[in-house]
Amino acid sequence: MLLTTSVGSLPKPDYLIAARSQARKGQLNPKALRELEERSTREWIKIQEDLGIDIMVDGEQYRGDMVAYFAEHFGGFKESGLVRSYGNRYYRKPIIVGKVTHPRPVTVGWWTFAQGLTKQPVKGMLTGPYTIMDWSFNEHYPSRRAATLAIAKVVREEARDLERAGAQYIQVDEPAISTRPEEMDLAIEALGIVTKGLRAKTLTHICYGDFTAIGPKLHKLPVDQIDLEFANRNFELLDFFRGKRFSKEIGLGVVDVHSHRIESTEEVVANLKEALTVFRPEQIYVDPDCGLKTRSPQEAIQKLRVVVEATRAVREWLAGSNGKVRRQNASLATAAREGS
Amino acid sequence: MITTVVGSYPKVAEESYSTKLIGAIAKWQRKELSDAQLEATHQAITRAVIQEQEAAGVEVLTDGQIRWEDLVTPIAKRVEGFDIEGLSRWFDNNTYYRRPILQAKPVWKRPILVEEYRFAKRCTRRPVKAVLPGPYTFVEVSEDRYFKKAQRPFVLAMAEILNQEARALVAAGAPLVQFDEPALGFGKPNMKLAVEALNVATRGVDANTAVYTYFGSLDGALEPLLRANVDIVGVDVVSSPKALGALRKVKTTKQLGLGCLDARNTKLESVAELHALFRAVKKVVPTDRLYINPSCGLEFLPHAQARAKIKRLTEAVRTFK
Repeated sequence: MLLTTSVGSLPKPDYLIAARSQARKGQLNPKALRELEERSTREWIKIQEDLGIDIMVDGEQYRGDMVAYFAEHFGGFKESGLVRSYGNRYYRKPIIVGKVTHPRPVTVGWWTFAQGLTKQPVKGMLTGPYTIMDWSFNEHYPSRRAATLAIAKVVREEARDLERAGAQYIQVDEPAISTRPEEMDLAIEALGIVTKGLRAKTLTHICYGDFTAIGPKLHKLPVDQIDLEFANRNFELLDFFRGKRFSKEIGLGVVDVHSHRIESTEEVVANLKEALTVFRPEQIYVDPDCGLKTRSPQEAIQKLRVVVEATRAVREWLAGSNGKVRRQNASLATAAREGS
Repeated sequence: MITTVVGSYPKVAEESYSTKLIGAIAKWQRKELSDAQLEATHQAITRAVIQEQEAAGVEVLTDGQIRWEDLVTPIAKRVEGFDIEGLSRWFDNNTYYRRPILQAKPVWKRPILVEEYRFAKRCTRRPVKAVLPGPYTFVEVSEDRYFKKAQRPFVLAMAEILNQEARALVAAGAPLVQFDEPALGFGKPNMKLAVEALNVATRGVDANTAVYTYFGSLDGALEPLLRANVDIVGVDVVSSPKALGALRKVKTTKQLGLGCLDARNTKLESVAELHALFRAVKKVVPTDRLYINPSCGLEFLPHAQARAKIKRLTEAVRTFK
């Protein structure tokens, strides 16, 4: 219970950032870039192991944008010119120009490489079909719905490939899910196409601007675990779950990835104990709020360390001399609120 | 039918007027470039954007909002009372804006956009319209820590401020002032307040006025909007296809801004499909009361497709009988 993990992305070290820039300008060959990506992946796996993280990620050292990565490897997409996302940040938005296809596995090679480096389970990491659709231009399909469902079938093939390769955890992220409340059912339907029949544990990380739209539909998400940000809103989100039946596992984001401030262990322990009045210990996976790629490597490591240390402290507290009673009380209280 | 654009235009163009703005802003943020040097780059790109609109045959231009981070920051940073905080999603788009936080009474101190308007006007002989955020939308996307969450005083205070800015822009030569109100396409907007605020914003503005809506869907907001004291009402029929049917049911003498090429998708509409739309709209609003424009600002598109859209726009209007 109270397993620790992270959401997916980890920062790229300076040598890799420089190498990617050179590669884009044609000054570094793909083989040399790959070697550096493997080196930083090895480094991040070792860091996760040394920290004692239970469920690992490969850190996406070889990925840029989470939609562009899949668009580059699926059939049917082409790259556009520069589009501004905000401020002074630009990216190349994918354009769907033909039928979306899955010519070969996309993430299996890197997943297999990362899993070969550790005994801890490494999560397979996919971007969900609704997000891929919403963050792309569409010149081929007659509707957003048609595009989403077509992409879902392709992401499903990738999920199967990961499972066949041995992935026990498959995460399908849908950060765009709450952008258009009237399309949430479509996103849920598409996610169901991806996860149907998978034996691996399935997870999704979703972002929410306004939780009132997504909240009532959470239980419909066809995954075993929903990973949510709690820290960046001071754990107010716990109030939504209080007293409600929620039978899925919950990825509990306990540190803010958009802040340079490193949370103290005490603060995370306090928030975890509060979360235990709402969820059962077996339900909770503890992680940072979101991917860590916007932090410096040092900040990311410190944030992960706090996650692990706080979780250990709470596990000890639960297992302590009064632990059995505490665990029972925690479980009973939560179960009573769930009405089970 | 008069061709126009809604407001924003791509700030970079790899194959034409360059991507130099990206480097210039980065340098300016590191204080390696002065305000004046950054402004020179802004001016160069604005000039290129205006020339591109002209070359495409657009009749009523905008300056492309090249200096604008988003629709509200240019105003929020120069009206007293606001702080500007973190990023929020801009309606249902995959773009973000900085949320204005009202900490004290909002006060318009001096003209904000007049200098950049004057520059744009000097770049062309064609009419250049001035664009402002609408008061209702401004409040909807802001956070209020001053009026204690009372919507009406905040909206009306912004309407007064935007009115002062509008009058300054008209004094600088703007023949048309447009207020953007995308918030009216979401949820159940308080239309009584929105229209009251627009009427405050356009009071004493001695030029043509417009309210443009885009994104979401207008539903019940269209009818009250057509009663506001504005000359032109802009409707995005790409996002809100039912609006055309709604227009049939409402008698109006206003001019209509028809948002009809999807400025949020690269797929280029054909002349035939645009002509079919014009034929349908003609039955509801005569062509001498029509402005034809893309569905919203063109900054959502890469430059090549933005340019293709305005060329297709003018071609469709030019060849329509």
